[in-house]
Amino acid sequence: MLTIKNIVKQYATHRALDDVSLQVEKGKIFGLLGPNGAGKTSLIRIITQITAPDSGEVLFNGERLNVEHISQIGYLPEERGLYKKMEIGEQVLYLAKLKGLNTAEATKRIRFWFEKLEMADWWKKKVEDLSKGMQQKVQFVATVLHQPELIILDEPFSGFDPVNADIIKNEILELNKAGATFIFSTHRMESVEELCDNIALIHRSKKILDGPVKEIREQYRNNTFWLEYEGDYNTEHSQQLFEVLQAETVNGKTQLKIKIREQQNANQVLSALLPHVSINRLDEVIPTMNDIFIQKVTQTDQKP
Amino acid sequence: MNKILLIIQREYLSRVKKKSFIIMTLLTPLIVAGFYGLIIYFSIQGVKGTFNKVAVVNNNKSLTEKLQPTKNIGYAYVNESLEAMKSSLKTTKYDYILYLPEFDISTPKGIQLIGTKQAGLSLSNRVSGDIEELIRTQKLKASGISQTDLDGLKTDVNIDTKKIGEAGKEEDSSAGASTIIGTAAGIFMFMFILLYGIQVMRGVIEEKTSRIIEVMISSVKPFQLMMGKIIGIALVGLTQFVLWIVLTASISTLAVNAFVGKDTIAQNASVAIKAKDGTSVSPVVNSPVDSPVLAMQKSLASLDLTKIILVFIFFFIGGYLFYSALYAAIGSAVDSETETQQFMMPVMMPLLVGYALSLSVVTNDPYGPIAFWLSMIPFTSPIAMVVRLPYGVPDWQLALSMLILVVGFIGTVWLASRIYRVGILMYGKKTSLKEMIKWFTYKN
Repeated sequence: MLTIKNIVKQYATHRALDDVSLQVEKGKIFGLLGPNGAGKTSLIRIITQITAPDSGEVLFNGERLNVEHISQIGYLPEERGLYKKMEIGEQVLYLAKLKGLNTAEATKRIRFWFEKLEMADWWKKKVEDLSKGMQQKVQFVATVLHQPELIILDEPFSGFDPVNADIIKNEILELNKAGATFIFSTHRMESVEELCDNIALIHRSKKILDGPVKEIREQYRNNTFWLEYEGDYNTEHSQQLFEVLQAETVNGKTQLKIKIREQQNANQVLSALLPHVSINRLDEVIPTMNDIFIQKVTQTDQKP
Repeated sequence: MNKILLIIQREYLSRVKKKSFIIMTLLTPLIVAGFYGLIIYFSIQGVKGTFNKVAVVNNNKSLTEKLQPTKNIGYAYVNESLEAMKSSLKTTKYDYILYLPEFDISTPKGIQLIGTKQAGLSLSNRVSGDIEELIRTQKLKASGISQTDLDGLKTDVNIDTKKIGEAGKEEDSSAGASTIIGTAAGIFMFMFILLYGIQVMRGVIEEKTSRIIEVMISSVKPFQLMMGKIIGIALVGLTQFVLWIVLTASISTLAVNAFVGKDTIAQNASVAIKAKDGTSVSPVVNSPVDSPVLAMQKSLASLDLTKIILVFIFFFIGGYLFYSALYAAIGSAVDSETETQQFMMPVMMPLLVGYALSLSVVTNDPYGPIAFWLSMIPFTSPIAMVVRLPYGVPDWQLALSMLILVVGFIGTVWLASRIYRVGILMYGKKTSLKEMIKWFTYKN
C-alpha cells in the first residue's frame, strides 16, 4: 500500500528524518510511534504531500506519490481546527469538495455520518458553539468522508471522553474492516496494543524498531513472571534460579515478580517451590508496548 | 484550478454574508450622500438664509446716494427718527436699523447697526462694505464720472481653465473638480488597499491560530490557498466598491433632486410674491447656473468619469494584489495579530509615503517629476496614479505604470508564496525578518 524508501528531510539546523524506510500493508492499522520531536509529524507531512523529502521516495500502491493521491488520503492532524465562524455542515461540505467530491454526493455522505454519530442537528451550528470533543467528531467525519484508502490519524483520541473515544474507536475498526488502511500516530501505548497490527518506532529522526506488534512483544519477552503462592519460603534459597524484581505479601499470599535466570526455566522454578508452598499462579509477563517504547528509547539515548 | 475556485467562493461568501459587510456597504453611501446633501443644503441656506431687512435712518445730508438692496441685505430708507424706530423695532418687519449720522464723507464715524439681536460679523462686514462702496460711488460721481461709466467699471470675472489635450484640441477642465476627484480617489485607494490587505493578513492568521491550516494544505497547495484567499477578498472589495458607486450615485441623485428641485421652486415663488408687493426688500436671486452645486456638477461632467473609474479599478486590483501578497506573507509568519507590528511598518511605510505625497505634492504639481516617479514605482503608483488621473495623464505613462504594477505584483506574489508555504506550518516561534529571508531560500 505505502512504501517509504530512505527518506531524508533536512531543515536548516537539524535533520528531521534520517534514512527512514517503512512498509505499510493494505488493510492494516499501522502505529507510528516515537517521543515528541522524533520526526513523526515530518514523516506524515511527507506522506500527505505537505512537504517533500530531500531524498528518498514514497510509493502509493506502487506509484510514486503524486497529486492524484491527495483524494485517496485522509489526514487528521494533531494540530487541527475548523473555521470558527462557519456552519458545521457547510464547513464539512467545503472540506469534502476540496477533496474532489461533488456537492450532492458530499451532502449525502455528511448526512449519513452525522446521523450515525448522533450529530444530525449540528448542521447549522457554528464551530465556536461546540465543545472540543464535538469539534473533534466533526473533524473525524471530515477526514473519512471522501472514503480514502489511507487514513492518517495523529493523536485521534486526545480530547475525547471515554464514551466518544469508544465510538470513534469502533468507527475506525469498522472502516478498517471495510478495507481502509490506517496510520496512527500516538503516545498512548494501550491504544496501540488494542488497535495496531504493525508499528514503527522513530526516535531522533531514525527508525529504531518496526514490525508486527505481536512479534515485537514476543521478541521482547525476557523471562519475567508473576508468581503467587501461599506459605513460607525464603527466596534466597533459589538465588541461582531467579531474581526477585518485586515482592509483596498480603494476607499470607505472596506475590513476586521474578526474572528467571538464563538456562533455567519455569518448570525448574516450580519444582523448587512446590515442596514448600502452594502455588496459586505463575504467568509470563509479556512486555507492554509502553515498556518496549521506554526501553528502546532510553537504550538509544545511552548509546551515543 | 477547481480547488482555487472553491477557496475563492468560500472566502468571498463568508465575508459578503457577514452582517458587518452588509451594514458597511449600505451605510457608507448613505453617509456620503448625506454629506453631499448637507453641503448642498448649507450652500443654498448660505445664499438664501442670511437675508436681512435693514431700515436705514439717514441723518446725513451730504450722503445723497442710496444703498441698493443686495442678495443678502434688503436696505429700505425710512423717514422716522432713530428713537421712534428703536422703540418700534420689534413690531416692524425690519431686522436691523442702520443709523447714518451727520459726518464728513471722508471720515465717517458714529455709524450704528442696531438690532434686537447682535449683528453677526459677516453682516456688519457686508454693511460696512456696502457703505464704503456707496461713499466711493458718491466721490467718483463728484469728480465727474457718470453712472454709465461707473456701471461699466463693474466686471465679474470667472476663470474657465482649459488645457490642450493630446490631440491639440482644447478641453474643458476644472482644476477644482480634478483636485476633488483625485483626492477622493487617492483616499479611497489608500483605504481599500489597507483595509483589504489587512483582511488578507487576518484571514491567514485566523487559519493559523484555528489550526485548520494543516487540514487545508493536506488537500490543497499553499499557493492555491493563498491565491484563493487573495482573489476572494479582492472580489469582496470590488463588490463593495461597485455597490458604493451605484448606491452613492443613485442616492445622491435623489437627494440633489429633492433638495435643489424644491428649493429653487420655493425661491422663485417667493421672488414672484415679493415682486407683486412692490417692496424693495426682495432678495436678488442669483440665476440657477451660478449656484455652486450646479457649477460643481458641471465641472464633474467635464471629466471622463468612466475612464477614471475603470483605471481606479485596475489600480485597485493591481495595488491590492501587490500589497495583499505581502500581508499574506506577514500573516503566515506570526502566531497572532499582536505580533504583526514589527512587519507592518516596512509594508505600511511606502503606502503612507505614497498617500501623503500624492495628496500634497501631486495635487499641487500633477505633471512634475515627483508625481511622475510616484506614479511609476509600484509601491506608490496605485495611489499616485489615481490622484494624477483627473488632471490628465499621457497614455504612455498610464500604460507603463500599469505594466510595472503587473510585474510588481507578480513579483510580490511569488516572493510571498515562498515565505507563506513555510510560515503557515511554523508555530510558537518568534519570527524575525532574517528568518523570513531564510525561509525564502528553502527548497520545497
